[in-house]
Amino acid sequence: MKPQRALGGDDRRVWLIIAAMAVVALLFIPLSQALLGLRFTYTVRVVALGGSILGVLSGALGCFAVLRGESLLGDALSHAALPGVAIAFLLAGRELSALLIGAGIASWLGLRFVSALLATTRIKRDAALGIVLASWFAFGIALLAYIQSIPDASQAGLDHFIFGQAAAIIESDVMLVSAVGAIALLVLFLFWKEFKLVTFDSEFAGANGFRVGLINTLLSTLIVVTIVLGLQLAGVILMVGMVIAPGIAARQWTHKLDQMVILAAVFGAFAGGLGAVISALDRDIPTGPMIIVVAFVLVLISLTLAPGRGLIWRRLRQRQNQRAFAARNTLRDLYRYALAHGAANKPAPDSFIRGVGDRSAALGLRQLRSEGHVTLGAAGWQLSESGITLARNDLRNQRLWDLYRRYAHELGLPAMAEERGQEIAALLPADALARLQAKLEEGADS
Amino acid sequence: MMPLERLLIEFLLTFLTREELNAFLRSPQNTATLVGGLIAVSGALLGTFLLLRGLSMTSDAISHTVLLGIVVAFLLMTAVFRVEGDTSSPWLIVGASLAGLGTVALTEMLYRSGLVRQDAALGLAFPLLFAIAVILVSRFVDDAHLDEDAVLVGEIGLAWANTNSHCFENCDSVTVAEDHPAAKMTRQCVNCRELGISPRDERAEFIEVCGNCGFYSPARAWSAGLLEREPALVFFPKSISVALVMTLLTLAFVLLFYKELKLSTFDPALAKALGFRPGALNYALMALVSLVAVGAFDAVGSILVIAFFIIPPAAASLLTDRLALMLLLSPLIGAAGAVFGYDLARGLLFGFLPIGDAIALINRLFGLELVEEWDSSISASMVLVIFLLFLLAWVFSPRYGLISTALRRVNSRRLFDDQVVLAHIHNHQFTAQAATELRVATLHLHFRWTRRKMGRVLARLRALNCIRIVSGGAVLTERGEERAHRFRATMLEAHNMPSSLE
Repeated sequence: MKPQRALGGDDRRVWLIIAAMAVVALLFIPLSQALLGLRFTYTVRVVALGGSILGVLSGALGCFAVLRGESLLGDALSHAALPGVAIAFLLAGRELSALLIGAGIASWLGLRFVSALLATTRIKRDAALGIVLASWFAFGIALLAYIQSIPDASQAGLDHFIFGQAAAIIESDVMLVSAVGAIALLVLFLFWKEFKLVTFDSEFAGANGFRVGLINTLLSTLIVVTIVLGLQLAGVILMVGMVIAPGIAARQWTHKLDQMVILAAVFGAFAGGLGAVISALDRDIPTGPMIIVVAFVLVLISLTLAPGRGLIWRRLRQRQNQRAFAARNTLRDLYRYALAHGAANKPAPDSFIRGVGDRSAALGLRQLRSEGHVTLGAAGWQLSESGITLARNDLRNQRLWDLYRRYAHELGLPAMAEERGQEIAALLPADALARLQAKLEEGADS
Repeated sequence: MMPLERLLIEFLLTFLTREELNAFLRSPQNTATLVGGLIAVSGALLGTFLLLRGLSMTSDAISHTVLLGIVVAFLLMTAVFRVEGDTSSPWLIVGASLAGLGTVALTEMLYRSGLVRQDAALGLAFPLLFAIAVILVSRFVDDAHLDEDAVLVGEIGLAWANTNSHCFENCDSVTVAEDHPAAKMTRQCVNCRELGISPRDERAEFIEVCGNCGFYSPARAWSAGLLEREPALVFFPKSISVALVMTLLTLAFVLLFYKELKLSTFDPALAKALGFRPGALNYALMALVSLVAVGAFDAVGSILVIAFFIIPPAAASLLTDRLALMLLLSPLIGAAGAVFGYDLARGLLFGFLPIGDAIALINRLFGLELVEEWDSSISASMVLVIFLLFLLAWVFSPRYGLISTALRRVNSRRLFDDQVVLAHIHNHQFTAQAATELRVATLHLHFRWTRRKMGRVLARLRALNCIRIVSGGAVLTERGEERAHRFRATMLEAHNMPSSLE
């Protein structure tokens, strides 16, 4: 029962964070108006909206890339989109949907090329990604240079796909991104179970008759769609950060996929919106890179602060464990010394305890004293009432563990891991415990 | 850098006249090919070890960060030290390489924390650093050498124009002072701006300022018309010397530490146990990768450079299993890319296939009107040629190529078919069922094969003189008997059974 309750607490905390972030994201426009005195022009509104919508999409789908260990796939695929943009421009001119379709086809071909290389050669995954990234990108650059060498072609702005240019986004672009994004999220919702399964245990999925290859392709295609939609805003080089950063940040806060995906979507929206707002403050700050920086700050915050996993949390827990360990050992030393000298409340000289316990003794004594288990008298450290009880219980517990190790089989006790830090009485069922205690009364251990 | 260049030029002048050398270096093609080739060689050498260690994408991260290093060093140089920023200055190269090394450390730290996977750590680190670099560039840098285009493709086509001059004869440098006959004196208002008045105002005070005073190196002095005798000058492109130093360092590293690199690449645990410190070696390798990435930044930009690290070694790994051979092949592939890449950028693939004709063909097929003049980015074209060479290796490699693998698969399938048929005949001949089991007309039914397939196999076995057809039934010849025995023996051995069981 206990672990489940703990999880329930975690759950509530994560949902609270999600709600809080969502509220902040929604209040962006009024907040930044009030705090920063920012004037919301048409461009800023459209860009902030576009950034948030894109953030939702890339955050949600990026989770899968992160969990599957395919973070760099996003990098390769976004670079690989460039020749598609150029070819689509050559064939169909400056039509955004055509450019995006071209981009999608090019990076999808890159994806297939990676798969083909992996299937037929011994080239490793990262090298295959690097090959596709570099050569597709080079092809794109060569085509762009060719397009630029054409006199009076209206190629202006085409190279904005490389670094992204948020200012060029208009309302119809946002509509397009929202529509396609909604379809992508719908597909994610419909195939939720399948995606979850192939992400965490693709062999199991295959053994149960799911068509793993097909599901993988579908998932990768969704990621390609996300990348392509983001190109105009973030550009091919930075899109990978947009895809994976929210997922990595969200991963730190929760162990559940549904929470992670929703949290990543909210983080993505937050980064997209805030990045756009900050870049609106100064004409020389480009939007795409600013979004990436905000997203990374979220990652940094998550890595350090996230409860349970975060660095600070981990450091605190280490300190706590260290202190508890030192306290227990010092308590045992004191108790053993006192018993050996006659009575449980016999004080032990300070130099003795520190000599036996080495450096952890100081830590342990401080801890025990603050909990009122020991007092320092003229003759040395003396156990208090509560300290004696604690030490006695601990000794009994350790004896029971010793007995458990020796007689578990003979007494027909349930099998469990030997965790001596735990109270054995809390772990065993009542009848088993009674048998073990009977063994202790027999004096089997002495 | 300068004394080194001079030494090299003196060496070259023993073979060439000064005019020939200058003419060679002034050709954009020669310089671009040379710089590209040198980058390709050093990239391929280091990339081989990256590939074998599974670190190929680390070069991607490093090359992105190098941009940040260059931008920060550039800004520091201009803002703090008041030096004119120059992207080929050695200090800048060292500083930026340190930044590259920093990324490796940062990535490792993220990964070691256990919170982030290795690929995610890479994928986090470099977009961030690149984003910061882009923000810094567009916010603070107004220099043509550091704009966004230069980041992408570099300026290898212009490498010939940025030179150091070396003087060998008549080396008169000139210092123009105010009393020099060539000094151009101009009047300048000293208090106009302060008082906000025009120079015509009567309150304006003037001083005489020398407009062209200063030190003139022989080359500048000659071009300013300050010298009577023409100095003997050699103009040496800076990029070539940077690339050359990089290549020599890389070559020295690989040759000196070949044994250690080999051991720590294939068996890091053993290397550590033998006291070779693979960690230190790894950082040395990464430091060189950073150095090459920085050195290549001017020429090919920060993204395309990873092609030189990754693709040639990958192609070489499809051609050979031997490390030494790989280290020979991959620089060759990279250098070939540099040589043919320049032609490709000017519209000629591999020196004889015109791209313009291909565009004309596309125009005709799809009814388009694309310009048939192909003039493109040199560095991107070099990468494309390297990629084409990779594709050739993938398809035609004698050992791991698509064609040879397919052929091998067909061969082994045939061999297997032959052998099961032989085994079948061997099992049933001279038994009571021989007549039904071995009748040629129905033999395919026992294998659930098509009649055609069985016909092919039998024809092959007859041609190999392994079976004969006697009155409608298949019979083993002596040779066939021997093959069936051998097959049986190997099968039994494969299943760990004594072959004496028969």
